[in-house]
Amino acid sequence: MDNGYLLAVMLAMGAVTFGLRALPFLSAHWLRRSPVMQHLGRFLPLAIMALLLVHSASSAAREHSAGPWPELLAIVLTCLLQWRSRNPLLSIVAGTAVYVLLRNWH
Amino acid sequence: MPSSQNTSQATPASLSLFSLTAPVAMGYIPLGMVFGFLFVQAGASWLMALLASIVVYAGAAQYMMIPMVAAGLPISTIALATLLINMRHIFYGLSLLDSFPRGFLLRWYTAFALTDETYSVLTTLPKDTPPRRMALLALLNQCWWVLGTLLGALIGSQAQVPLDGLDFVLCALFAVLTVEQWRARSSPLPLWTAVIAYALASALAPDHALALAILLSLIAGVAAHKGVLGSKALKKEKR
Repeated sequence: MDNGYLLAVMLAMGAVTFGLRALPFLSAHWLRRSPVMQHLGRFLPLAIMALLLVHSASSAAREHSAGPWPELLAIVLTCLLQWRSRNPLLSIVAGTAVYVLLRNWH
Repeated sequence: MPSSQNTSQATPASLSLFSLTAPVAMGYIPLGMVFGFLFVQAGASWLMALLASIVVYAGAAQYMMIPMVAAGLPISTIALATLLINMRHIFYGLSLLDSFPRGFLLRWYTAFALTDETYSVLTTLPKDTPPRRMALLALLNQCWWVLGTLLGALIGSQAQVPLDGLDFVLCALFAVLTVEQWRARSSPLPLWTAVIAYALASALAPDHALALAILLSLIAGVAAHKGVLGSKALKKEKR
């Protein structure tokens, strides 16, 4: 991977992230009063996470010919574990382990 | 990144910085390792992985960037995705505004390092916590993330993993984050919006499905607010 490209990407990402985190200290007044921003603050996180989940799962499913079943099974397991245990590490490790098993044992 | 569970209890002022950040370390070291490992396996050097965790320092965005840079997507697309994925961070600073450090360096570093986990620890501190302590706590948390990244990157640059499907950790991480956002939701609409937006986007532009779907969701989010998609659930949410 080209280091110049990577550096440019990381600087852009760092600047955007810092900008977002620092914004309240620059313009708290505007933010507290902007209903659109308040609304997006509640709307976007769930939408974005779901998008990333669907996108990464469908990309994974396209890399093999077994259909989307390993992805679906492992995601359902991960979600159930997280819903019950609230332990991210446990859910991620267990979900990934099951997925690796499904992909390598057939 | 998922929030740590053990940080919501009342925090005695005498508690050491180390024990305050220990729950975060438990999450950041392994998850940082996964990032470093995957980034190096995707073709980056260990130094680049380390730099990412120093300069960007945003877990979910860093995970997201791996497939994006591997595909060589334009910087503007990746920056837009970062903007959307991290937009929630705007609202963290708002609730800490009055207790935040005043000194230039302490203030802006703590703002820079305001991740989900650091935010959740800072909100448990007593009101009279010295600013230096807040900044140090933020710094320690970043150290855990950077340490994990370094370990993962070093392992990743040695090992060739023979197992298929190990990069599913990314998927699992997003599943965990989706569950946590779902738990905190005020309306189910964002989830359905995302699913429909992604179906539309992958039909219209399969190569840029994620970026297009994010844009569609943003538009839908604004539209929902303006009442274009006005529903009972949303009106309730606007309170």
